[in-house]
Amino acid sequence: MSISGTAAIAGIGATEFSKESGRSELQLAAEACIDALKDAGLTPADVDGLVTFTADASTEIAVARELGVPGLSFFSRVDYGGGAACGTVAHAAMAIATGLAETVVCYRAFNERSGRRFGRAAARSEHAAGTADLEFSWHLPYGFATPAAWVAMYARRYMHEYGATSEDFGRVAVAMRRHAATNPNAWFHERPITLEDHQASRWVVEPLHLLDCCQESDGGVAIVVTSAERARDLPHPPAVIGAAAQGSGPGQMMMFSYYEGDLTTLPAMGRVGETLWRQAGLGPADVQAAILYDHFTPFVLVQLEELGFCGRGEAKDFVADGGIEVDGRLPVNPNGGQLGEAYIHGMNGIAEAVRQIRGTSVNQVPGVANVLVTAGTGVPTSGLILTRP
Amino acid sequence: MTAASPRRGDALHDRLTVLAEELTALGERPAGPCPDPVNAPMIRNWTQALGDHDARWAETAPPAMIQVWSMPGLNRDKPGTIADRILALLNESGFTGVVATNCEQTYDRYLRHGEELRSTMRFGGLTGPKRTGLGEGYFVTWHQTWYAEGERVAEMMFRVLKFRPRAAGGPPAKGRRARPAIGPDTRFFWDGLRDGELRVQRCAECGRLRHPPGPMCPECHATKREHVTVSGRGTLHSYVVHHHPPVPGFDPPFVVALVDLEEGVRMVGDLLGCPPDQVRIGMPVEAVLQKIDDDLVLPQWRPAGSAPKPPPAQGAEPAAQGAESVAQGTEPAKAAAELAALSVDLTPTFVISTALATRDFTPVHHDTALARAQGSTDIFLNILTTMGLVQRYVLERLPGAVLEGVSVRLGVPAYAGDTLTLTGRALDDRTVEVRGAVSLGDHAIATVRLKG
Repeated sequence: MSISGTAAIAGIGATEFSKESGRSELQLAAEACIDALKDAGLTPADVDGLVTFTADASTEIAVARELGVPGLSFFSRVDYGGGAACGTVAHAAMAIATGLAETVVCYRAFNERSGRRFGRAAARSEHAAGTADLEFSWHLPYGFATPAAWVAMYARRYMHEYGATSEDFGRVAVAMRRHAATNPNAWFHERPITLEDHQASRWVVEPLHLLDCCQESDGGVAIVVTSAERARDLPHPPAVIGAAAQGSGPGQMMMFSYYEGDLTTLPAMGRVGETLWRQAGLGPADVQAAILYDHFTPFVLVQLEELGFCGRGEAKDFVADGGIEVDGRLPVNPNGGQLGEAYIHGMNGIAEAVRQIRGTSVNQVPGVANVLVTAGTGVPTSGLILTRP
Repeated sequence: MTAASPRRGDALHDRLTVLAEELTALGERPAGPCPDPVNAPMIRNWTQALGDHDARWAETAPPAMIQVWSMPGLNRDKPGTIADRILALLNESGFTGVVATNCEQTYDRYLRHGEELRSTMRFGGLTGPKRTGLGEGYFVTWHQTWYAEGERVAEMMFRVLKFRPRAAGGPPAKGRRARPAIGPDTRFFWDGLRDGELRVQRCAECGRLRHPPGPMCPECHATKREHVTVSGRGTLHSYVVHHHPPVPGFDPPFVVALVDLEEGVRMVGDLLGCPPDQVRIGMPVEAVLQKIDDDLVLPQWRPAGSAPKPPPAQGAEPAAQGAESVAQGTEPAKAAAELAALSVDLTPTFVISTALATRDFTPVHHDTALARAQGSTDIFLNILTTMGLVQRYVLERLPGAVLEGVSVRLGVPAYAGDTLTLTGRALDDRTVEVRGAVSLGDHAIATVRLKG
């Protein structure tokens, strides 16, 4: 049995993206879910499953209470930070394919700018010694304490191996900000940047400039998943889940997989890519747009290589000359991504993929039949291929 | 450091030059009083705090105590130095940083208990602007001379660098460095560091080395583990330079390194003693175990070959005080020149009690919160104590020698929680070179002159 084609995304919803939502994370989650259900033409009474991130502060039952969902047959959490994003949809699709649930809402909502900011130095209790605490213990005492720093360690080695430069990373930021500039929902609407702006922005953690780092955002996004059959009767053309996958790599850690193998690769993403192509029976030439997780620019380059869009070390050429801009070789993140639209832990990218399939994006790529979506990089991750029916 | 561009027509430089000429013209001027005669209670406080057990101090004063006699104590209206006006002008002009760079003392004779002292100061000069590792700055020098009944008994040259701090990535974060969570599978590693060993787990069945460690060998699934002590030699696999945001306990920019150990495992740590723009992937590095406090030692890294000579094994130390003292030349010439190392644990109590015993009440030597607020990692050893420890080290290693002078070039701060390791080498009968190293690098390089 394959999951391919059994489930579809029927609705997408979101709050506004801001720097200070002024309301609770639970309220953001509930608002995003209601918005998504309306978009799907469904009501909370139709919902029998909820899935979110392990990292989310609002439990499935708390969201169910706010929505007035009478009861849940399926609830699940996906771990590893932003690596969970597509995993929530994968879990929903599995539940639907196996008959555990009929309609599952996946959500992620947080005050990541006005509340706990992920960009700040991480702190963990020295008195808890679970495996994640131990992983952090090999790093935090050295002041190696921020996601930017953890990614910079890979980026420096990648530059060394392949001769990539800060400007190559900068081209990713320029592309995302170009896309965001024409997206009214993007935080950086009408604020494009140049490569010179990127180069002039201050160091955060060398070799990363400020403009290599995604924003910190408040907001929520929800995705309604139901059977492909039922989705056909709902208002919007379904975005059929052609493939869904999770993946981790050898010696995998949360952001710190430095101890085995090659720092210029993302084996977890490589595994996700192989599974997606195999499940969907497609290859890199068959997708017209990609949503690549862009919390930090260097990993967009590595993803292009891991997913087979170009060879090892060739991504710097792939992104040159507007290669990943909306009119380029492979339009990446036409919504502006997390660098330009908002950082909602990858969930806003899934919503954009759905719009590309529906043909309703503000930066619509012509003739989209298949869109690849990825989740967090450097962590155990996940991915989707969404397909026009 | 190199000379900065000529300052012709620079108004500040001109004002400084005029002021320096004025101060020089003042000549030798009386300094603040020496309130107490040379006395046993102050000497006892000093010898106890510094751990100096030389029997001669029952009759005479330790020579390195000379500056203590003229210290103003905890006195809010304390008289300054003759260089105060020039230091103030530099301060107002943005050269707000200050670091002592040199202290040279000459002892004409040892002082007897009961002697009354007075001291004078004279301005010694201004050089700059110079570009230094800390930023652009001026070196300011002054001299202090001590007299007993009109007889000169000691002199000191003191030099500071007043610098314009380079723009950093914001103020240092408050708070302390994160501490590791330690579990049953990782405790051997952290315990080893406290015992001076850098340990890597080895599978007791198949011999596979593994870092970070874990309870089951992923190769053969044995749970029986042992560890090896690794050499600490490696090469830099990758690195980052952290600028922002603030990290508690760190002063940006700082370098975090991923090291390929020669034994075949990788390890993360800070790269110390290497300016960020000189870090290169592939550079050889070596481990240095940095004592954070009594409970925590961290494995850190520095460029290979930048470390002071490792101290000899602990057993070597008492030999220096025994009958076959290295000073008596019973060893072959080359070996005889090397003095056994002395390690001093810089506990907070040590740092504070020595500061107070030297009548130095500057808060950075006893107030941790204030020291951190000023950008230091912790409270740190004062210079009067560094001078005293150099004296103690040389006289313990060369019993019977009489000190003529000590010249110290100051390096990195010696923070509480660290260990100061003194090593020395007799260049000839009258000259000893001493190096005081802490985990950050060289704290002091001293040349000690002995009377013939």
